[in-house]
Amino acid sequence: MEIGLAHYLVVAAVMFVAGLFTMITKRNAIGILIGVELILNSATVNLVAFDRYQGPGRLDGQMTALFVIVLAAAEAALAVGICINVYKNLATVDVDRANSLKG
Amino acid sequence: MWHRRLAGGPDRIDSMAQHSYEIALSVGVFSPMVSFWILVFFGPKFGKPAAGWFALVLGMGVPLACATYVLLGWLGAMDAGQSAALTANAWRGQWAMLGDVAITVGVKLDSLTVAMFFMVTFIAFWIFFFSIGYMSGHSDEVAGQRKYWRFFAYLSLFGFSMLGLVVSSSLLFLFIFWELVGLCSYLLIGFYFDQPVPQYAGMKAFITNRVGDFGFLIGLMLVYFYLGTVDLDEASSRFAQQAATGTGVFASHFTLFGWSLATIMGIGLFCGAMGKSAQFPLHVWLPDAMAGPTPVSALIHAATMVAAGVYLVARIFRLMTPDALMFISLIGCLTLTLMALIAVVQTDIKKCLAYSTLSQLGYMIFGMGCGAWIAALFHLITHAFFKSMLFLCSGQVIEGCHHEQDMRRMGGLWKKMPVTCATFLVGVLAIAGAGIPGTGIGLGGFFSKDEILAVSYARAFEWNSVDKIESGHHDQPDHAGVVPPRRVVLASDLVQHGDQGRGVHDGERSHGANNPAAQGKEHRGTHGETGLATIFSNTRELPKWMFYLALFIAYVTPFYMMRAWWMTFMGKPRDDHVHHHAHETPLMYIPLVVLAVGTIAAGYFLFRPLIADAAPAATAAAKVMAIDGEIHTEAIASAHHYLVYAVGPAFVVGFLIAIAIYAKGLGVGERLKRMPVLAPLHTLLEKKYFFDEIYDFVCVKGCLLVAAVAGFIDTWVVDLLVNLAASATERFAAFSGLIVDNEGVDGIVNGIAKSSRDFGNVVRLPQTGRIRNYILAATGVATVVFLCVLWASSVAREVAVAATSASLGR
Repeated sequence: MEIGLAHYLVVAAVMFVAGLFTMITKRNAIGILIGVELILNSATVNLVAFDRYQGPGRLDGQMTALFVIVLAAAEAALAVGICINVYKNLATVDVDRANSLKG
Repeated sequence: MWHRRLAGGPDRIDSMAQHSYEIALSVGVFSPMVSFWILVFFGPKFGKPAAGWFALVLGMGVPLACATYVLLGWLGAMDAGQSAALTANAWRGQWAMLGDVAITVGVKLDSLTVAMFFMVTFIAFWIFFFSIGYMSGHSDEVAGQRKYWRFFAYLSLFGFSMLGLVVSSSLLFLFIFWELVGLCSYLLIGFYFDQPVPQYAGMKAFITNRVGDFGFLIGLMLVYFYLGTVDLDEASSRFAQQAATGTGVFASHFTLFGWSLATIMGIGLFCGAMGKSAQFPLHVWLPDAMAGPTPVSALIHAATMVAAGVYLVARIFRLMTPDALMFISLIGCLTLTLMALIAVVQTDIKKCLAYSTLSQLGYMIFGMGCGAWIAALFHLITHAFFKSMLFLCSGQVIEGCHHEQDMRRMGGLWKKMPVTCATFLVGVLAIAGAGIPGTGIGLGGFFSKDEILAVSYARAFEWNSVDKIESGHHDQPDHAGVVPPRRVVLASDLVQHGDQGRGVHDGERSHGANNPAAQGKEHRGTHGETGLATIFSNTRELPKWMFYLALFIAYVTPFYMMRAWWMTFMGKPRDDHVHHHAHETPLMYIPLVVLAVGTIAAGYFLFRPLIADAAPAATAAAKVMAIDGEIHTEAIASAHHYLVYAVGPAFVVGFLIAIAIYAKGLGVGERLKRMPVLAPLHTLLEKKYFFDEIYDFVCVKGCLLVAAVAGFIDTWVVDLLVNLAASATERFAAFSGLIVDNEGVDGIVNGIAKSSRDFGNVVRLPQTGRIRNYILAATGVATVVFLCVLWASSVAREVAVAATSASLGR
């Protein structure tokens, strides 16, 4: 069986749903961060896959994937910083208890 | 800018003499002021008699010396015929400029000033002297304190004001000094300010004078506005000029009670004299003014200040129109008659003299109105002497009798007070006009009052005949028929005297005056029938009843004066207590003797020639209007000739009646008083024609009524409106605040706020603050959007397929 685009997309979709589920269900901020990473990675997989099958030889997808990875790294650093500050202020990283944004 | 006016006077006069007169008069005016200020600041340190002696020497001695110096020099100048030039060259300077009008200040240096200055200083000197004795008893006690020095400070201030009034050559400064004498009068009447009567008398005098002075001020404003100057001579000559050309004040068509504006100007100025000289109907203050110390009554309210009104009329005589003079005559005649009749029933010795003063002032004003300029001023001088002396005598009596003023309780004082009795009698004879007709022997009033009567007689009876005689002289009967001769006189004298009427051409003037028709002939072609004829068309002869009244009062005067003298000094003592205490002191009777001698001398020497010397210039412009009796000297002389026999016996008749009634005590008088015919008359006179009651009712009560009405209007109209407005505002504020603002505006604002809040509450419900909720919501929304897009794109595809197949099918 030839590995095609659909396979990649399925993997990416599984990863996406797994990340989304993680984000929705986890109460730990770090857990949510992990979910975010999963979603980002699924998107990256999609990008590379579409690049490979839809427009071969142009490397657009790969380049964008690289940007996403870099952004993800930056975002992770930022998010962890936020988590540390949240912990400093509220002595917890439980997002349900950190509900200061409640209107 | 100070300058000496040199225009119009010959240069041959001795300028040193001129300077020395002006300086002497100025020193005389200002030394009482220095005395006043020194006494004000250091008075209490002077001690009791010293303050008086100080005021006597510095306050009046120096002025008297100055006056004597000027008088002697002036008599020499008069003999040398230089007086007119001295008058014309008298110093005057510019005090201020008001627009185009120069306010001048200066010395009025003429024979009248010299005569008045000497008279005032002489009499004041002896009254100061008298006061030293009079006030040294208990008379200076006010509110438990000795106010000896204060009395002399006031007297000095009065000396300054009165002399300034006499010397001033500008109407404005005359007015200023005029008010100053009024102030002194007020201060001195109310000297005993701890008692209510002098207090109110002072106020009454001041307020009554304000009424007159208001008229003076109106006249002054008219002079300022229409004549453009306040200088007496300048104003007079401009007035004559305007009369000739019909310009200025004569160009106005304004009339009031039928008086032209020029007449109103004269009457306005005369109103000041009415107040100060206490003429009917402003006479009410003078009798009450007797509440002041007796020397004050003698100096201010008999001799000098009240005569200032007559002096004023003499000074503004040239601004008078015939109508104004007729008004003056009327006022004078009413005053002299009504006041003399009151004097008949007075029992208070000072009140009796006060009404006598009013009556005599009435004579002077009446004389002025008749054009008897010389006679009125002559009477002023003689009256000043004898009336001041009479008042001092009454002061001596009052002081001697321990402040008893009621003549009914006196009697038989001649033994205790021989000098006072004798000097009082001299005064009585002088005021009665005692004299022997045909011999020229007589006392003051014999000459002066009779002369007033003579002029009034000529004005009343011989005026027309004189004109007819004179008009017969010239040879143009056609014109004589059209223009009455009097107006020919107007035009002719106007041309001669209107502009340069300063008494320089004395000889010419008297010539012209004696033969007016001859001069009228020369000028009538140009001026005879111009505006003057219409302006002065209402020149009238004096109503005959005025003359008859004046003549009748000449008989009444001796009666009431003899009555006063007899009641006081003759008969039997009616009150042992008073009689027992009666005494006189040399310090006080020396002035009486001096003034008695002065009274006798004043009729003969000095004053009549001095006044006559001043007359031509002072009445020059008036002659323009043919109202000066002096023009018709012959008529007056003949009138005088008859009148001497009509008036001459008056004093004998009056005296005899008085003696007949009062020789046997008060019995006859009392019985007369109770006679049914005379009783109402007596009541009327005793109540002074109810003037005080009428004034109280009309003025005081009227004032209060107006105040009450104004108060009522204030309470019930103004306050009502204000309160209504306030209450309306209050209600509106309540409505707008409680209803509109609280309910309406606030409702809207709050409603918006509430609805925003409610909306916010709804909107904030999803904002749980839980990140997972947000993510779920975002995912849900994204899913729904995704499904929608999918559905929409599939629908679009179906449509496209259908369309394609449809087009292919066709």
